[in-house]
Amino acid sequence: MKAEARNAAAAVVLLALCAVPFLAGKFTVYLAMRIMLLGIFAVGYNLLLGQTGLLSFGHGAFYAAGAYGLGFFGLHVSGNPLFGVAAGVAAAILLAILVGYLCVRHTEIYFAMLTLAFGMMVFSLIWNAREITGGDDGLIGIMRSPVSFFGLLEIPIGTDRQFYFFILFFFALSVWAVHRIRQSPFGLALAGIRENARRSEFAGVPVRRYRLAVFVLSGAFAGLAGSLEALLESNARPFMAHWTHSAEPVLVSLLGGLSSLTGPLVGSAIFIAMREIIQRFTENWMLWFGIVLLVIILGFRGGVVGTLSAFFRKAAAPGEG
Amino acid sequence: MGEPLLTTEKLSNHFGMVCTARDLDLSFEQGVLTSIIGPNGAGKSTLINLLTGHLPVQAGKIRFQGREITRLPIHKRVRLGICRSFQVVNVFPELTVAQNVMIPVLARTGRAWNPIRSLSRETAVTRETEVFLEKVGLQGERDTPATALSHGDLRLLEVGVALAAAPTLLFLDEPTAGMNPVERVRLLDNIRELACEGRTTFVVVEHDMDVVFSLSGRIIVLHRGEVLCDGTPAQVRADAKVREVYLGDDVSDLFRYEEE
Ligand SMILES: Nc1ncnc2c1ncn2[C@@H]1O[C@H](COP(=O)(O)OP(=O)(O)OP(=O)(O)O)[C@@H](O)[C@H]1O
Ligand SMILES: [Mg+2]
Repeated sequence: MKAEARNAAAAVVLLALCAVPFLAGKFTVYLAMRIMLLGIFAVGYNLLLGQTGLLSFGHGAFYAAGAYGLGFFGLHVSGNPLFGVAAGVAAAILLAILVGYLCVRHTEIYFAMLTLAFGMMVFSLIWNAREITGGDDGLIGIMRSPVSFFGLLEIPIGTDRQFYFFILFFFALSVWAVHRIRQSPFGLALAGIRENARRSEFAGVPVRRYRLAVFVLSGAFAGLAGSLEALLESNARPFMAHWTHSAEPVLVSLLGGLSSLTGPLVGSAIFIAMREIIQRFTENWMLWFGIVLLVIILGFRGGVVGTLSAFFRKAAAPGEG
Repeated sequence: MGEPLLTTEKLSNHFGMVCTARDLDLSFEQGVLTSIIGPNGAGKSTLINLLTGHLPVQAGKIRFQGREITRLPIHKRVRLGICRSFQVVNVFPELTVAQNVMIPVLARTGRAWNPIRSLSRETAVTRETEVFLEKVGLQGERDTPATALSHGDLRLLEVGVALAAAPTLLFLDEPTAGMNPVERVRLLDNIRELACEGRTTFVVVEHDMDVVFSLSGRIIVLHRGEVLCDGTPAQVRADAKVREVYLGDDVSDLFRYEEE
């Protein structure tokens, strides 16, 4: 019954998202794409933060790995965007295995600081390896070639409206995958680690290996979002690896709510929309944006989604009782 | 009976100047329900912490079924069949009672890695979880979050999570502390029953002497990190040193009902 309502809601949202490029203007379509990219980044990230209770400040590095991975692959191997995305995700996974292996033996503040440090290292590597990465100019000239299935079928993604559906496909896939993971035995084991890591070990769960697994998994989603952004913007920029970018999924999760799947998604929409609106009114947009974020995060404990669902549950309770 | 399940060799532990285990040479036989008693601070919990991997061993060796496990990580010991419950409730607070018990079941059956299959389809795991819930009498609280349980039920859950790992050797650190008499009798009956089934060998730390003497096949008396006496209930009852310690020292501790 509850699951049916959820599926129905998901179908409605999906239909609405499909309608966007036909009903809305160019800029709205662009914003919707940015929201979906941040959404992919954030739902994947929230497997780490919300589900497992690990705070990382370095996921921008995996986002950048996805973008540069796709960029290099496109420049040197093949322009097929599907292979490019796969290459970007693979690059993010490799980097996440390396960084994760060194970080997951630590917890809490040490873990957070280590991920921050590794993220900064990746950022300065990209920034300084100018011959390879283009330095602060970024990697430019990334093309959106048609999606080709072994020459049998070609789907163009050149225009923004076409590319919108390319992103929507991966967005829906990501949300579905994260939903499955949250409901799975693996998801329960992660929740157990969040609730009580020591007891998890005494339940027979190899905690470090699970932490590494979810770290790499969330890194893969970051890489997916990064490679899609590289296609959207036709470039990969070092600031993708910057810690301010790594903080975005953290903010978005707090905004929307850590404990649900929809939390980070709603958070992403609020984040992008608000930034856009505030940027129009003031040059000091960072200041005002920060203040508004603070108010929402402190005002809605448990995030917007958490607060609203608690409110509705309370409102519904007298009728049931 | 053959080889003992678990043996220690000169196992030692110090916290600064406090000695909590001194050259302990212990062995635990399969099927013998053993109680560990001793005054507060004797080192009972510390001994369990050492044997289960909660504390790193400072000196000495531990063997389980002939294999050295002195430095083995906790989860590997659990896989081998050594598990424990905690003196202070230590469960998964925001998870439901069923989820609490399900985690060890999933880990043991090797299903916890599956990231795609829905938990609701794991019918074998759900069924097994039910069995353990019944064993501790918490079927009625299946969907209650652990944080919402009464203290007595939390203690039951604490033991239930340990049982669900289906260990060969299970250490229970004051399992009935703070329970009301009804819960306590039910839990002890269950422990007795499980011990009779024979798959699990229990080692129990307990302050209630009635429980200790009625339940145990063997009693180890610890005092300041040393074994004061080790034998059948009758031997321990008759031991002069034990009497001395408990009569001269802290009678109240041994015979008082421990409130956690
Ligand atoms: N992690 C620790 N660090 C320092 N000292 C500790 C630590 N754990 C226990 N101790 C000390 O070691 C001694 C033995 O503690 P332990 O918990 O093993 O006693 P116990 O026999 O279980 O007592 P109780 O009946 O109160 O549970 C105590 O004096 C305690 O204060
Ligand atoms: Mg103790």
